[in-house]
Amino acid sequence: MSAVGIRLEGISKRFAHRVKGEVYAVRDVSLTVQPAELLTLLGPSGCGKTTTLRMIAGFEQPDAGRVFIGEQDVTGLMANQRNIGFVFQNYALFPHLSVFENVAYGLRVQRQPEQEIARAAGDVLALVGLQGYDRQFPNQLSGGEQQRVALARAIVIRPRVLLFDEPLSNLDAKLRVHMRGELRELQQRLHITAVYVTHDQEEAMAISDRIAVMHQGQIVQEGTAESLYRHPGSEFVAQFIGRTNLLSGRVRSASPGEIELEVAGQHLRLPGDAVRATAGQIVRLVVRPEVIELRPADSPDGIPGTIVSRTFLGEKAEYQVRVGEDLLQVTSYNPVQRGLFTVGQPVRLHFPAEGIQLLPGGPA
Amino acid sequence: MTSIAAARIDGWRRTFRDPALFTTVIVLWALLALFILFPLAKLLARTFLDGGQVTLANLAAILRDVNHRQAFWNSLLLAALVGLCGTWLGFVYAFAAVRANLSRAWITVLDAASLLPLISPPFTTAIAMIYSFGPRGLITYHLLGIKGFTVYGLHSTLFSETLTYFPIAYLTLKPILAGIDPNVEDMAFSLGSSRWRVFRTVTLPLTVPGLANAFLLLFAASLADFATPLILAGNSFPVLPTQAYLQITGLFDLKGGAVLSFVLLVPALVVYLLQRYWVSRKHYVTITGKVGAQTTIKSLAPWARAPLLGACLLLAGVILYFYVLLFYASAVVALGANHAWTWRHYQVIFTEGLKAIRDTLVIAGAGMPLGGLYGILLGYLVARKIFPGRQAMEIVSMINYALPGTIVGIAYLIAFNDPPIVLTGTALIIVACYVFRYSPTGIRATVALLQQIDPSIEEASQGLGAGSGTTFRRITLPLILPAFFAGLGVVFIRSMTAISATIFLVSINWTLITVRILENMTELSLGPAAAFSVLVVVIVFAVIVAISGLLRRFRTPGAVDMTSILGG
Ligand SMILES: Nc1ncnc2c1ncn2[C@@H]1O[C@H](COP(=O)(O)OP(=O)(O)OP(=O)(O)O)[C@@H](O)[C@H]1O
Ligand SMILES: [Mg+2]
Repeated sequence: MSAVGIRLEGISKRFAHRVKGEVYAVRDVSLTVQPAELLTLLGPSGCGKTTTLRMIAGFEQPDAGRVFIGEQDVTGLMANQRNIGFVFQNYALFPHLSVFENVAYGLRVQRQPEQEIARAAGDVLALVGLQGYDRQFPNQLSGGEQQRVALARAIVIRPRVLLFDEPLSNLDAKLRVHMRGELRELQQRLHITAVYVTHDQEEAMAISDRIAVMHQGQIVQEGTAESLYRHPGSEFVAQFIGRTNLLSGRVRSASPGEIELEVAGQHLRLPGDAVRATAGQIVRLVVRPEVIELRPADSPDGIPGTIVSRTFLGEKAEYQVRVGEDLLQVTSYNPVQRGLFTVGQPVRLHFPAEGIQLLPGGPA
Repeated sequence: MTSIAAARIDGWRRTFRDPALFTTVIVLWALLALFILFPLAKLLARTFLDGGQVTLANLAAILRDVNHRQAFWNSLLLAALVGLCGTWLGFVYAFAAVRANLSRAWITVLDAASLLPLISPPFTTAIAMIYSFGPRGLITYHLLGIKGFTVYGLHSTLFSETLTYFPIAYLTLKPILAGIDPNVEDMAFSLGSSRWRVFRTVTLPLTVPGLANAFLLLFAASLADFATPLILAGNSFPVLPTQAYLQITGLFDLKGGAVLSFVLLVPALVVYLLQRYWVSRKHYVTITGKVGAQTTIKSLAPWARAPLLGACLLLAGVILYFYVLLFYASAVVALGANHAWTWRHYQVIFTEGLKAIRDTLVIAGAGMPLGGLYGILLGYLVARKIFPGRQAMEIVSMINYALPGTIVGIAYLIAFNDPPIVLTGTALIIVACYVFRYSPTGIRATVALLQQIDPSIEEASQGLGAGSGTTFRRITLPLILPAFFAGLGVVFIRSMTAISATIFLVSINWTLITVRILENMTELSLGPAAAFSVLVVVIVFAVIVAISGLLRRFRTPGAVDMTSILGG
């Protein structure tokens, strides 16, 4: 079976709100998920990720817009007619059914022959590493095992798409990292289209082909992890994907292909094709902590600052550095060899031009 | 388009697209209309319509009768007194059970004694009262030698109803008192308060909404009670339910009965609405997150424990005495005159009375599964599904439960006596009366249970391709089985013990044990009445044991238990 894509065309969903009357949980979201792609909806709590996912599944009806799975318009179909696999945050295992019966449930609904059910359920349980657990009940399983049952139950019916709503958030940190690797591997092995919801940017970056960042019910940017990191389109995205320093700078001159800025008293030249700017304008800059280089105070150039705090983490050291009014985060890799700075020590900060991004849209 | 309109249209769309849901909603509405709204409408029509004209003449005519006006005030007075006394008794009892550090064994004794009145047929205490305090009463005549003591009147009715209904207050107040974190009281002690002060300033205020709730529940129960005043109130203290009954059975005045039951309906509805929508929402949450360091409850001074326990045991003793007396009366020739052991009364009920026993069991047995199913279906729909008129459905389903049985019975009598729908004389009318009157317990148990089951479990089933019918059958139903058992249990128990509504619906073809008990009592053959009562208590007790067993077997987290259901 070849994978099919998903297309959302301008879907919106409003909910009644006790105080505010009614609010948009999702507002005019359009999105295309390629066949066999794993796309992550990433955003802070309450931004509408779950609601979007539930509209794809059919648990929620959009107030406006259309949902396509493959070429089929499924907007009017109930969830049970859409052939989807949904993995819930709390797993939603059937507490009164054994592991085997949980997995077999979807096949029984399809009225598959008993033999086929036993075979398919057995195969899938083996696939998720749960051989021999058939007779257990959900309350006898660990969190990780429940997670696998939920996954097995979702994929055994050979759904057209797999939908995950924060499937790992109930697991401890180590297991979370392990399971996301397994999920990703399984998704690629099954060659199935998947939409994955999380608010954990690291998880999103680790697992996804592409990420759509949501904010207040809308998708604000989509792209690969790398492109979102390198070219955030807004302060929100810049701060949500990875850690960042946001600085203000003044445009000294702008010519085609190059912008000259003044940032904290230092002059910077940036390749400025992407951004329109005029001289005198204030712009916002994204400076990732790891691109800033710290040098001793007696080095010839760079912005002067003072170390405020230091966290030594072995392969890296994280500093907070005061520069004028601002507090900047700086990450220094391989600190043992490159030398550690101490708290209170004056330093100079060096910004390589290629590591800095200008945010479009002028003054914030 | 406004969002409300949009949501409504969305609701319709969804309902239509889901055939199982659609059909169930339609069928349930048809049943509710037929067995709740239609009879009520007929009752109101009988009260306010005359020859197609709306009129207050019927009402005025009834209210002009000083006897009826007296009955109205008597009813309110009795209900208020029973509410006060029963709540007070229930509070003392509950306080002793949960805040006096009693041992498990004592608490079991108190619980058992409070359960008895809840599962008994209506005349039990009344019979025992007459045996004890009647003209030849064991206590008044034989023990104390008082002659001419009148057992009939307000005092006996009050005493008997208080004893019968205080367990409702006990069950309402017990969890509230138990929920008060001892640390909160400790806190007050540590601030230098005396025990009495802590009781007044902490314990009591936290219980006030519960007390109000218990009072209203008892008020409603007493207002609706028909059996006790019929036997004990006598001519000097008429109350509305008995007046309405006599108007119909004695004077064959259906219209008068209808009007009287309307007069009863007004206070009953007020009390119900107060209880449901005001008081029961006002409870304090006193459970302060994780219970802190376990501390012993120090609510009660050590010296006060013994008298409190003594008072509660006295109350339990009175109840137990009544039941022992009842049993004794059923097994001797004539209590108070001839105390020779005999099987005679049991022979009577298993020969002459056999039809009533068989009929009652058939009716209770038929109502049981129907009531159980109806309860979980309706509970499931209102708790889980979005469809137009959902809230209205919930409210309508509660009407017959909220109204006094006398009203429901008279309404059924009026509604199903003439075409288009003639059900008088059938078993169906009695079964329907019980099902729609006593299933709300099952409905509420279902709703409560569903609130603890994450809806995503049902969505998971839907996502796997199951329609709403399959999901209900395979996933939801097994999870709410405890509510099903609880619901059918209550329908069965009430079918065995209730009389106020169905007394109007029995016929030559179908009669009930409770009605036979009443007949026996009016014929002054108290022996068979006692034997019937003992039989009912035994059957009901057996059913409760069986259902409790089932509930334990299908235990899911947060499941209901039997005693908490009987209170409601
Ligand atoms: N059934 C509902 N009724 C009313 N409001 C709702 C409902 N479901 C969601 N909302 C609101 O819609 C908004 C988006 O909710 P949603 O569950 O999609 O957020 P989310 O991005 O999944 O958040 P989280 O990361 O916390 O799960 C929230 O403000 C929420 O309060
Ligand atoms: Mg969510």
